Amino acid sequence: MAAAADCGTGAGSTGSIGAAACKNNVTSFQRKGPRASGTDSGCSRLVSIAGTRPSVRNGQLLVSTGLPALDQLLGGGLAVGTVLLIEEDKYNTYSSLLFKFFLAEGIINGHTLLVASAKEDPADILQELPAPLLDDNCKKDFDEDVCNHKTPDSNIKMKIAWRYQLLPKMESGPVSSSRFGHYYDASKRMPQELIEESKWHGFFFPEKLSSTLTTEPRSLTGGYRKLLQFIQNVIYEEGFDGSNPQKKQKNILRIGIQNLGSPLWGDDICCTENCDNSHSLTKFLYVLRGLLRTSLSACIITMPTHLIQNKAVISRVTNLSDTVVGLESFTGSGRETNPLYKDYHGLIHIRQIPRLNNLIYDVSDVKDLAFKLKRKLFTIECITKLTSYGTQGQKYLLPGHLQRKFAINKNRYFRTLHNLNKTY
Amino acid sequence: MESVVAQAGLVLLRDSVEWEGRSLLKALIKKSALCGERVHILGCEVSEDEFREGFDASVNSRLIYHDVFRDPLNWSQSGEALPGGPLGALQAMCRRTDPGPVTIALDSLSWLLLHLPCPALCQALCALSQQHSCPGGGSPAEPVRVLCLLHEELHGPGPLGALSSLAQAEVILSGTMGQASAHILSRRPQQHPTRQTQWFSILPDLSLDLQGGPPLESQPHPEPHTPPVSKGAGARTRECGGGVRDSSHEQRKHPLDLQVDPTAHMTFNLHLSESERAAKDSLTLPFQFSSEKQQALLRPGPRQATGRIFYEPDAYDDLDQEDPDDDLDV
Repeated sequence: MAAAADCGTGAGSTGSIGAAACKNNVTSFQRKGPRASGTDSGCSRLVSIAGTRPSVRNGQLLVSTGLPALDQLLGGGLAVGTVLLIEEDKYNTYSSLLFKFFLAEGIINGHTLLVASAKEDPADILQELPAPLLDDNCKKDFDEDVCNHKTPDSNIKMKIAWRYQLLPKMESGPVSSSRFGHYYDASKRMPQELIEESKWHGFFFPEKLSSTLTTEPRSLTGGYRKLLQFIQNVIYEEGFDGSNPQKKQKNILRIGIQNLGSPLWGDDICCTENCDNSHSLTKFLYVLRGLLRTSLSACIITMPTHLIQNKAVISRVTNLSDTVVGLESFTGSGRETNPLYKDYHGLIHIRQIPRLNNLIYDVSDVKDLAFKLKRKLFTIECITKLTSYGTQGQKYLLPGHLQRKFAINKNRYFRTLHNLNKTY
Repeated sequence: MESVVAQAGLVLLRDSVEWEGRSLLKALIKKSALCGERVHILGCEVSEDEFREGFDASVNSRLIYHDVFRDPLNWSQSGEALPGGPLGALQAMCRRTDPGPVTIALDSLSWLLLHLPCPALCQALCALSQQHSCPGGGSPAEPVRVLCLLHEELHGPGPLGALSSLAQAEVILSGTMGQASAHILSRRPQQHPTRQTQWFSILPDLSLDLQGGPPLESQPHPEPHTPPVSKGAGARTRECGGGVRDSSHEQRKHPLDLQVDPTAHMTFNLHLSESERAAKDSLTLPFQFSSEKQQALLRPGPRQATGRIFYEPDAYDDLDQEDPDDDLDV
């Protein structure tokens, strides 16, 4: 991918080889010092783009998804040039929240946005973005949250895993705004001036429809084709694929597509099981991924997979996307009353993580993840809190920390679960 | 019930063979007509005369009836037939520009679903229920309410799911022992969906009579349409509120479902008695640096063998006392 190549060469600075080499001129290694001028077109050093960082595993350029807990689960962030597919929960409350977090992160970092929707006007979507949590006022709220959870547990210290008390605590709260991922307050709106000074393109499908609605089914790729053309125009005109030699700073294009596959896009995979144009959605994803791979962009798509009648389409869609995250909310289901789930609002399933320039992927060991939306934070936690003998109802979980639990077989009759903090 | 149904947007009335919904639709039409709203009706299933019976003259004068039943395929080619068929009629309703709150009633959506492709119908419905934002900006948002009657037994899960995802409120009709009830699922944007159960009956003059609970002589048993969690939840005023907790508005007299206890059917014992708990707390763990160990280290006692290694050589061990590295000149 275009971005990765640049990233690999520039990620580490060359050492002090140059000092010894220029004396005897044996090697041609020259020390690359920091240059005073900003960007140079001939320089192979990476011009760092705001809001991105290279992955520590394979040097891939990553952007934040807007939710630091999700970034950790995906291995540091979302790779530039890939698609994040979110399988919507039943009433589309939390998936639209993740969608907005992604767009809000783009505004904070100064990325260009492209918002496509068939249900809501993109201008309205941008008005409803959550406000970022800045350092001072959020940190004390976060600390008091942590304290509230800590007081019932403080008398039960970690007796067995005592060595881990000596480890430094993982940084989980919001810190300065120049960090990679930011936290957002879902109850407040983003300030208007931030939205106005950001650059965004909107695609509202009902406006692009032809004025006459005909009863025979139009070519079902009509809506998708228009969207692809729109995305391609934006990428080409703004130079995200390197086509226009731009003097200004490189930037990332964040694309957000809402409710892809719903009948409002003209696609009937949600309505029938054997539809005529069952390949239009998969074609769309294939072409979209091709567009993304050749440009500096990242895309988030929310899809109502619970409505798709043909399960084969869901597996095809999963294969054609890079990262797939499924949300399952407890609203209205029988799990709302289950005491095991009473602190959480839903489960989050990481269905697929891509293998980009790799042979293996970094799949997390923990499969039972749940999320909850507190008044300011959206946290993802491991749900296998269990009642070890004698400590029924004890909570091992602290908010904002991603924790892992290992089961140790004490004897073959029962297990004890211990709580370990894992630092990356 | 009125507050939930009176909100703008798409309201689906799902009825079945046992519990018909046309009378509820007519009752809601009458209520909005008496409030002074203009009511447009797209009649597809029954004739105009049959639909208008039961309404009194004042209500009838406010109803604007678009008749598709008489000539659905437009064979008569007369001027009064609607151009473009039912979809054209829907489009014409989209493009109306008169001010004021409007209620549009579709009788029935099932007929439209059987004659039109589902995606086109969904797009038309979405355009209908959101038309206050469409025309060029500047005009204030007028509440447009679209009441649709849907016979849920005629359709598969696909179209039902697609239409439910579009609706702002969904009313599922059921009942027990001759008493009708409505399960109302309200999905306001930015808020959690709320569920409510309302017992009601329709009087002969098409007014809505709301009742407190199920009829007293009935046995409490779950209705076929009841979702597993049948408790009502209060409407939320805060968007994205944290935590789902049940609150007021419980209309039913049934006992609340007991919480599921995950430790109910285990084959091993997770509880500790007091003596066991005391023994557990006083246990010294092997690798913990307790005070006794610290004292033992500080005071080197007799026979303190801290670093002795006891080694039993195997038969195959080569115990060559010579150092093999002796000949290295290092």
